Amino acid sequence: MVRFDPLRLAPADAETTVLRLAKTLDHVASESGREIEIPTYYDGPDLVETAERSGVSVELLIALHSGRVYRAFFLGFLPGFAYCGVLDPAIVAPRLLRPRERVPAGSVAVADGQTSVYPFDSPGGWRLIGRTDVRVFDSTRDSPALIRPGDRVRFVAR
Amino acid sequence: MMQIVATGLRATIQDRGRFGHLREGVPPSGPADPYAFAAAQALVGNDPGAAAIEIVGGAFTFHCESPRIVTVTGRDVALRGRDLVPGWTAAFARSGEVFTVVGGERSRFAYLAVSGGIATEPILGSRSAFLPAGIGRPLRAGEALPLGNARVDAERAGLSAPSPDYDTGQIRAITGPHAQRFTDEAETLFFRSDFRVEPASDRMGTRLSGPRIGAREGEILTCGVVAGAVQIPSGGAPIVLLAEHQATGGYPVIATVISADLGLVAQRLPGERLRFARVDRGLAIAALRDARAALEVIA
Repeated sequence: MVRFDPLRLAPADAETTVLRLAKTLDHVASESGREIEIPTYYDGPDLVETAERSGVSVELLIALHSGRVYRAFFLGFLPGFAYCGVLDPAIVAPRLLRPRERVPAGSVAVADGQTSVYPFDSPGGWRLIGRTDVRVFDSTRDSPALIRPGDRVRFVAR
Repeated sequence: MMQIVATGLRATIQDRGRFGHLREGVPPSGPADPYAFAAAQALVGNDPGAAAIEIVGGAFTFHCESPRIVTVTGRDVALRGRDLVPGWTAAFARSGEVFTVVGGERSRFAYLAVSGGIATEPILGSRSAFLPAGIGRPLRAGEALPLGNARVDAERAGLSAPSPDYDTGQIRAITGPHAQRFTDEAETLFFRSDFRVEPASDRMGTRLSGPRIGAREGEILTCGVVAGAVQIPSGGAPIVLLAEHQATGGYPVIATVISADLGLVAQRLPGERLRFARVDRGLAIAALRDARAALEVIA
């Protein structure tokens, strides 16, 4: 998303500039981005139910989730919350109909083909399958978000 | 230094906002009512990028150890020192003189600006508190805040800035960006109906109830959002995003409140009504220009 001040840059000029920049953008090469490992304890409150819903054993669900390298598509929802995908299609995890009022920071979660780590205690509607001690956002770090768009993310079972 | 004696319900430091960090999922924060904030800074002679205090629930009491120009802006607010200073008016504060921000029945967000600005350490380029991410924290009674150096221009005392009409409930908005996700009937209903502000409204957004606004079937791709975006979640009850909006949103946005009117939305109280008036982009930009021009004459 591009923000600009319409009193300093006319919207038509902003649009022209953005379109010109978009044309010069290279496609992201599949091997680009840094590789980020998230050590994960697979003991989340929705682990068993997600396995049942997917028709697989808990062991297989863990293997499916930790067996892929995900791409971080973008960050949103909360600082440091990276939308990573895509999940193995065998993992069936629609968003919760009633989001939890409080999901603990560090929860490893899945929803609708994507996976992420909750950076803070917050409300949330994703299914919680595990947790990590890694801090995915820390405003005191030079680069506060651990995962950046384009990074490759791997969950490693602990 | 500014010595805080009492804080009201919740007081935080805010500057214009934290820009350039949406890619990390960090929202801009900043004042819920940007015009009232900018007016407060202009009245005390501060740079527009200086930090002030956003107060919810009145009764914020303080004194400064050196002479300062102070003011409070917002809806239905005043400043009580030895005398009562009306809102949107600059006052001279002697060293040690105690002031209390007084909020009336219709007050919601008040902005207390002090010449020199609040000079705490910026985090990610901004002094704005963003409590959900542990950036900044609510101010506490008994603490002292560093102030920037400023020439005290006593001539400013008595200077006032125009307050918008917070009681109107008429909110100007342009359509879209997801207008094509709504039928003409839904859009007409949206612009012709009264909505009621729900108690769950906060700095993240103003939640509305009223006629159910239905979007067409199908999901939209999650995309970046701005303050002022009017999201329509699946239940059909609109949410107007404010300063602490999430960096991205997955609900269709039927309309976007113009920048000049963001504060009018933020300052609506739970139970009050509001109505959206459709304007075009040219008028939105003209309204922003007028709002800034009104403050340039006093800055």
